[in-house]
Amino acid sequence: MKAALKCLVLVVTGICFNSVSAQDVYQVLRDQVQGFAEVVRGKPLVFPRDHSAHPEYRIEWWYITANLEDDRGRNWGLQWTLFRQSLSVEADTEGWDSNQLWMAHAALTTPEKHSFEQRFARGGIGQAGVKHGEIFEAWLDDWHWRSETAAIFPSQLHFSVGDSSVEMQLEGLSDWVLHGDLGYSQKSTQGQASYYYSQPKISMSGTVHVGDETIQLKGTAWLDREWSSQALAKNQQGWDWFSLNFEDGSKLMLYRLRHDQGQHWLSGSWIDSKGQLNHLDKHDIELNPAAIREIDIGNDQTVELPLEWKIGLPGYGSKWKIKTLYDQQWMGTRFPYWEGMVLVEDDAGQPVGRGYMELTGYD
Amino acid sequence: MVLKALLSHYWCHPWQTLFLLLGLTAGVGLWSAVQIINQHAETSYAQADSLLGTQASYWIRSKSERGISQRDYISLRRAGFVQIFPVVEGRVSTSQGVPISIIATDLFALPGELLSSNDIEPAADSANEWLKFVQKPYQSWVPQQLASELKIETGDSLMLRDGRQLPPALIQSRAQQGRQVLMDIGAAFSLLNTDRFNYLVVGRVTTDRMQKLEALLANDLDDDLSKDLELVENQQHLDLSQLTQSLHTHLSAMSLLSFAVGLFIVFNAVRFSLWYRRETLLNLRLMGVGISTLILVILLETLGWSFIGTISGLLTGVYLGQWLLPGLSASLHNLYGATVDAVIALHWSTLLKAWLLTLLGLLWALAWPMYLQLKQDVLQANSLSVRLSTERSARRNLAYGGLLLLVVAAAVYPNIDSAVSGFVLLGLLLFAAAWVLPLLLAFGLHLISWFLPVNNLIGRWLVSDGWSQMPAFRSAMMALLLAMTANLGVGTLIDSFRASFIGWLEVRQSADIYLRAPQINIQQLLDSDRSDQWLSDSHARIGVTTRWRGRPTLLRGADTGAPDSLVFPLAQWLGENPEDALKIWRTQADAVLANEQLHYLGGLQLGETLQLETDRGPKDYRVVGFFYDYGNPLYQFYLSREEVTASWKNAYSRGIALWLKPDRLQGASPLQLAETALREAGANTGDWISQAEIRKLSVNIFERTFAITSAMNALTLIVAAIALLASLLAILQERLPEFAQWRALGLRYREQFLVITIPLLIFVSIAWLLAIPLGALLSWLLINKLNIVSFGWSMPMLWEMAPAWKLGMLVLVIVLFTLALALFQLRRRLPMALAQLGELS
Repeated sequence: MKAALKCLVLVVTGICFNSVSAQDVYQVLRDQVQGFAEVVRGKPLVFPRDHSAHPEYRIEWWYITANLEDDRGRNWGLQWTLFRQSLSVEADTEGWDSNQLWMAHAALTTPEKHSFEQRFARGGIGQAGVKHGEIFEAWLDDWHWRSETAAIFPSQLHFSVGDSSVEMQLEGLSDWVLHGDLGYSQKSTQGQASYYYSQPKISMSGTVHVGDETIQLKGTAWLDREWSSQALAKNQQGWDWFSLNFEDGSKLMLYRLRHDQGQHWLSGSWIDSKGQLNHLDKHDIELNPAAIREIDIGNDQTVELPLEWKIGLPGYGSKWKIKTLYDQQWMGTRFPYWEGMVLVEDDAGQPVGRGYMELTGYD
Repeated sequence: MVLKALLSHYWCHPWQTLFLLLGLTAGVGLWSAVQIINQHAETSYAQADSLLGTQASYWIRSKSERGISQRDYISLRRAGFVQIFPVVEGRVSTSQGVPISIIATDLFALPGELLSSNDIEPAADSANEWLKFVQKPYQSWVPQQLASELKIETGDSLMLRDGRQLPPALIQSRAQQGRQVLMDIGAAFSLLNTDRFNYLVVGRVTTDRMQKLEALLANDLDDDLSKDLELVENQQHLDLSQLTQSLHTHLSAMSLLSFAVGLFIVFNAVRFSLWYRRETLLNLRLMGVGISTLILVILLETLGWSFIGTISGLLTGVYLGQWLLPGLSASLHNLYGATVDAVIALHWSTLLKAWLLTLLGLLWALAWPMYLQLKQDVLQANSLSVRLSTERSARRNLAYGGLLLLVVAAAVYPNIDSAVSGFVLLGLLLFAAAWVLPLLLAFGLHLISWFLPVNNLIGRWLVSDGWSQMPAFRSAMMALLLAMTANLGVGTLIDSFRASFIGWLEVRQSADIYLRAPQINIQQLLDSDRSDQWLSDSHARIGVTTRWRGRPTLLRGADTGAPDSLVFPLAQWLGENPEDALKIWRTQADAVLANEQLHYLGGLQLGETLQLETDRGPKDYRVVGFFYDYGNPLYQFYLSREEVTASWKNAYSRGIALWLKPDRLQGASPLQLAETALREAGANTGDWISQAEIRKLSVNIFERTFAITSAMNALTLIVAAIALLASLLAILQERLPEFAQWRALGLRYREQFLVITIPLLIFVSIAWLLAIPLGALLSWLLINKLNIVSFGWSMPMLWEMAPAWKLGMLVLVIVLFTLALALFQLRRRLPMALAQLGELS
């Protein structure tokens, strides 16, 4: 569950007029539109086919986040996301009449600053898309994530943010993780669901060009793939999402869909150091904000965000504290959210992992 | 105290106050309206390096003018040039024949903060509306102004002449949309039957990226990219400022004329207030108030009025400007392709200028006459004889002034080299005539009383009463003369231009079909056996765009033996007759025909040798003739097609003209056969236009172009009508006691009616008679001097009496209407005046 939802909403609502409040925007995700394909339990995901686009579903995304280090050991972060949306239930056509809409977000967090960029494009004309055949490619304009073969890894990611240009090599190191019930990820008790799978451990290395300077980076990335036709229940306001890689090789994805009356929807996946996948639900997860801080989001505006968290998996006897690496990782896109690197500490306050956190619905 | 005493007049005589205000408002309003729209247009030119709210420093165009393929566009985007966005432009015609300009783009591809809400006026249901723009059945974003002209509302689909419809309308617009209808590329492709962009716009890019783009397009670095693309700097803002200067000068001149007419009303109102305030002034002076105090008070009053006039005038001006703007936008778009936005703004400079102008005008029309009044001997009696002799000397002085203006005009005449100096001359002439008018009116009265039989007492009385009405009507008549002259002069200009334009269209557009379909093999079609059934002749033209002496210039390559080339309408030629010049043009490779603009604006002379930059370096050509090229703001040369092909490798097809065989009695008409053949060859409806259609469209564009001039013309006349009404009411006010006396002496209403009507009709007739030759002179100057120095178009003047008669009738209606109004007032107020008469006696 990612900012994707929110961002796609933004596309749905016409790239947001200021007059449209964030809550109004969520409404579109809650609306049930007849005619789109429905997410059903028990439908097997097939790779590499399902890496490609599913235009019969309303929304979809390819979401890469990475925790990287330069040769001085400093933390760098990057995010690259491609969103797709079907504007109508009719079958997609090629050309300008296509009902597919694409949006991409890119962010680069350096030790000095956080920068981001967004782009939009329509489908059908070759400006953006995801193709899967002899090669795999997801692109919008010159931003692309491309593999030279049908397999999604190894692949290259290229994008630019401001005057920085990013060139990364990606190699998948783990099995695909099918969240929920074999990829069927339930979002509420009212039937909202998505297909959701991840590649939680990708080795990433490459360069960032900033002006004349070239910086070598390497680290670990996480890929999320999700598609759906109706993702939010009527009483869900926003979400908090975590993807964490631990030093012992275990991984954790969990999220909380915040309900307006409390009783939030909690879900996650725990992949232990042996690679064993365990589905988590609200009985397994303790997730609570530990510190709320105000950050500056530009235009003389600030926002209060839960930037420290406590996570507990009582069933596994684990407790962690989540801290941001940099507070300033605000995505001031047309549809704003916080997305950035976090550090995982154990009970003793020792760092035991890194990851990404996403906070939406706080603006 | 003194101020209060003086100003009390305005409370006591609300009519005078109203007319003073009306005059000021009308004058300042018209002037500022034009100022506002001129300024607005200039602002728009300054923004011509932007398109739809986005910086447009460069264009990528197709050298062959075939347009740009989607493949090339996507290649550039995928090469990282994300500041590039596509534009499709086109023109369609509504079922009523109103031309509509279409502009289409992909809003997603616009660079920068395009999607910020500042750029788009949110509609009621903004979120959904926006998506409708990019999805079938799409949307047409129609600017408010255009929508109200076309009488369409949100959701309406505008019907086109060929039966198709525009996507449903949404009444909103983006920056620099002007009067164009904005739609998605997808909608435009289907509407205009094309799959290529007219051009790509390059938004704000860094120098580094720009160099990369230049290199990419100049060299053959990218095999995917067509070799047909070229990067062109957007110089539109410079070109537009230069090209449109004359039009704006024209408008400014007309607005100044309106201001002058407004001042006449003020002058008129002041004259009457003087009449009433004379006593107050006298009393004040007798009470010992010093002249300097009175002068100060008068100046204060003037200042006060200048504020009131400026504010009310500007308010009117903004409203009028909003009303005139569509006309101006249409003119600018049709003549120069300039896009002018629909929303206007008032600048501080306009405010200041309006106030200064008003103040100056008031100093002349209000402060000066009051000062003169003040200077008169305190004890001088207020007798009729004094009034009449003052009037006589005023007439004489005005006439002297008029003559002086004539002398100055004669001195200016040989030196007209710009629109500004031309209008100075026109202004001098008009005011000379206006100032001489009172003398002519007096002369007219003399003449009529001379011819009246001695025993026609009533007649003699009516005429001689004219003398006492004359002072009251003097300035109104001058205003009327100015308005009528301007009306006739400008009317004749437009009529002459229309006649020349239509005549010229008939010669230039003699072909039956004009085709522009780069996708089809036209030669194959023409050479086919079947074309014999319908084709009689054809003319394929090519062209290339360049700059000559800094101005955009078209070089055309024509088939010198084609039917329309044989009858090329020349304004000037080498040799005995046009045919001689055309013969030279046909036979000598270095012979060129140039448009009149090159002669009048570019200074090119007949027979002169000029140098053009060809692909192989500069080459000399000789001008053998100048051709009429109405409506074209650009320079244009016609050379032989062989010469253009040989010298400019980038010359591209400018379409082909087809002449059809005469209609036969039986079977399908050649036009039907031709259209079928074109369709079979792969041309789409819309790729060709028939002669009837293109003429209708041209004439429509012409009419719309001159809409603003006609509107200004009508407004000036309305202002003059107000002046007339003001005078009449003032006369009533002034002479009411006199009329009451007459009435008491037994004068009937009918006779009273005659007393007021006859002298007025005499004055108006004289003014009208004078307006006819003056109007003719004005139009002669407009056509033969101003039009030429402004636009470079020459044309014969077409003088007809019909418009003068029509104007006469119109003025008569206005006079009768104001008379009716005045007489109604008289009837209403006479009993009261009679009662007062009783009290007095």
